[in-house]
Amino acid sequence: MSASLQRGINAFKEQIDAPVASFFSSCVRCGLCANACLFHTETGDPKYTPIHKLEPLRRVWQQNYTFWGRFAKALGLSRAVTDDELGEWETLVYDSCTMCGRCSMVCPVGNDIAYMIRKMREGMAAAGHAPEGLIGASQRAVTIGSPMGVKLPALQAQIRHTEQETGLKIPVDVEGAEYMLLLSSMEIMNFPEFIGAIAKILKQAGVSWTIASEAFEATNSGIQIGVSEIAAELVERVVAAAEKLKVKGVISPECGHAYMAIRWEGPNLIGRPYSFRVVHIMELLDELREQGRLKTTGKESQRLTYHDPCQVARRGGVVKQPRNLLNMVAEDFVEMPETGTMNWCCGAGGGVSANERADEIRLKAFNRKKKQLDAIRPDAIVSACSNCRIYLEDGLEEYGMDMPVLSLTETIAEHLAGTEQTGSKE
Amino acid sequence: MSKDETLGEALRQQGISRRGFLKFCAATASMMALPPSMVPAIAAALEKARRPSVIWLSFQECTGCTESLTRSHSPTVEGLIFDVISLDYHHTLQAASGTAAEAARETAIEENYGKYLLIVDGSIPTANPGYSTIAGVSNVDMLKEVAKGAAAIVAVGSCAAFGGIPHAHPNPTGAVSVSDLVKDKPIINVPGCPPIPVVISGVLLHYLTFGAIPELDSLSRPKAYYGQSIHDRCYRRPFYDKGLFAEGFDDEGAKKGWCLYKLGCKGPTTYNACATTKWNAGTSFPIESGHPCLGCSEPDFWDGGGFYKALSMPTEDISRTAVYAIGAGAAAGVALGALNRAKKAKATKAHEKVTINDLEKGN
Repeated sequence: MSASLQRGINAFKEQIDAPVASFFSSCVRCGLCANACLFHTETGDPKYTPIHKLEPLRRVWQQNYTFWGRFAKALGLSRAVTDDELGEWETLVYDSCTMCGRCSMVCPVGNDIAYMIRKMREGMAAAGHAPEGLIGASQRAVTIGSPMGVKLPALQAQIRHTEQETGLKIPVDVEGAEYMLLLSSMEIMNFPEFIGAIAKILKQAGVSWTIASEAFEATNSGIQIGVSEIAAELVERVVAAAEKLKVKGVISPECGHAYMAIRWEGPNLIGRPYSFRVVHIMELLDELREQGRLKTTGKESQRLTYHDPCQVARRGGVVKQPRNLLNMVAEDFVEMPETGTMNWCCGAGGGVSANERADEIRLKAFNRKKKQLDAIRPDAIVSACSNCRIYLEDGLEEYGMDMPVLSLTETIAEHLAGTEQTGSKE
Repeated sequence: MSKDETLGEALRQQGISRRGFLKFCAATASMMALPPSMVPAIAAALEKARRPSVIWLSFQECTGCTESLTRSHSPTVEGLIFDVISLDYHHTLQAASGTAAEAARETAIEENYGKYLLIVDGSIPTANPGYSTIAGVSNVDMLKEVAKGAAAIVAVGSCAAFGGIPHAHPNPTGAVSVSDLVKDKPIINVPGCPPIPVVISGVLLHYLTFGAIPELDSLSRPKAYYGQSIHDRCYRRPFYDKGLFAEGFDDEGAKKGWCLYKLGCKGPTTYNACATTKWNAGTSFPIESGHPCLGCSEPDFWDGGGFYKALSMPTEDISRTAVYAIGAGAAAGVALGALNRAKKAKATKAHEKVTINDLEKGN
């Protein structure tokens, strides 16, 4: 069975629920969402107005679920959504939307536009209008276990490397551990130091943990492409491993959408509650700090700012925790002009980073982040999402800005009390 | 009293001192919301004003407007002003009757053609001209004839301004206002049932002083008197803002002087000077006496759906219609909802599992 317009339209009809219907009928066409979207502000092109990205879905709603829409359709006064139209909208829905949800924050009638984009992608994928990059990532996620094609041996190599470097044992498949750690492929391949940082911090705090060889991947391509079946399958793998190892909690690593997938969408996707709790690494570290189990010494003297990953802060509610943690180790912590739940996206979330076609528009939209950084001129940026970090670096390079992008977990680990690596970093 | 006498001369003959005259000018300036610097200008203009000829026509009316004006607080400066204008024709007040009276009107028109002021009270019947005639001339014909040579027309009272009570549903005489019939003359509406006496005299004074009609609102009412709502200037307004309302005419709220909104007060939609100028030489106004405003200076106040119904209540009894409408709406909603649910269920049923092999488009 291959993708087709018919399947796509059917998926639209299926996805339209009470919130979507009320959102579409409440929209007052004020256009406030336009200036909340970095793809609109940095291009000035009205086609990037967030609510406009939903036009085909809105038409399907109107023609199928409203009185006047049905009436107009019966009289042949309103056109049906065509395959060409979906093709045209593909770049709007996937390339120029990171599902960052900033538009949902400013909507005066409370429409959750990001929620609708997520639903619209279900129909787009079923109609065969998902970007090649995301299709490939989804296929790799299902067949290999990682969207970047990272296999277990690669992880094992990084674990060995980390054990040699830190002298700490990295627990794998330890039944009865308190927490099971998930990792994003990005961390395994680009930021393996993250594993060592976690090991050090959790050792100091006396928290038992493990990595599951059967489900170490935190990311979920199914959510980004918009196929709930694939998303559910990926969540099921994590749930099965966590239940098998009888852990009390699952740690979502420094990754934005992974947290949203496992913490918020997961139970709905699989249709049952978890037997364990899910925490973002920032939440866990802040809990440990509160309990006095996380102790640091020394402070970073350089001027630091914090980039909120959209799915962690705006969509996930983890706003205070990273700031509490950063204040432990930063002497000069400055906030960007718009921050927390109103932070601007790095431009690469929601599957944009897996979609090479979007590179040009993504880098253009990065100008928004540049403006934010220019306003405060920090020495370095700290974040809690490896995808944000990679693409912040990419954007900074594009705009000729020299600024390191740090991991908050790693920064905390460097200042951990009672280890050799204490002291201020110059 | 000669017609060529100026107003100043006439006032001094009447025993009005210069000081009293200036006080009156100052009061007039403040009432018309003019700056104090205008007082000497008013005094100077009035001193020199030739007494203009005024023709007063009364049609379908109750004489309440004339009563209001003449009986109010006499003898006052306003009263004297009326003595000193040349009131050449007025049914109720003139001494002449019959042919002599009509001759006076005709003479005034002839001698002051294009310069006299026409004041009208009462509405004009159009269903049958015979419903109201004066000396065998229908109201419509008389209005048209006298209006032709007038410099301006003042429609005094709600009947002349908007049709008033004769115009109320079902309007058996086909009553209309002056502005419905006369289109080519400046018309000042001074509505009210009746209008406040000083408002009538103030409008005339403005005309005498400046030789032009005052600034008017969309209903041709002088803004100086009709610029603000009763509600905005009401001394009970603080109770409205606090949500303290009298619920009956003898309850605790009424005794405490709370807002009369719930008892049908039309203050919020009525524009008039009652709350500031007040009645009976500034004694009080209806709300101060514990009665809600009827809205008598607004068009169609008589058909507003009941004087004691709060403004927020529908004007007509719509309960039956409402029940049917709600029933029909609910039924349509349930039906549409069921249709939508069926459609969505169908879509869910038609759903085929999307796997990684289904993401590419087939041929």
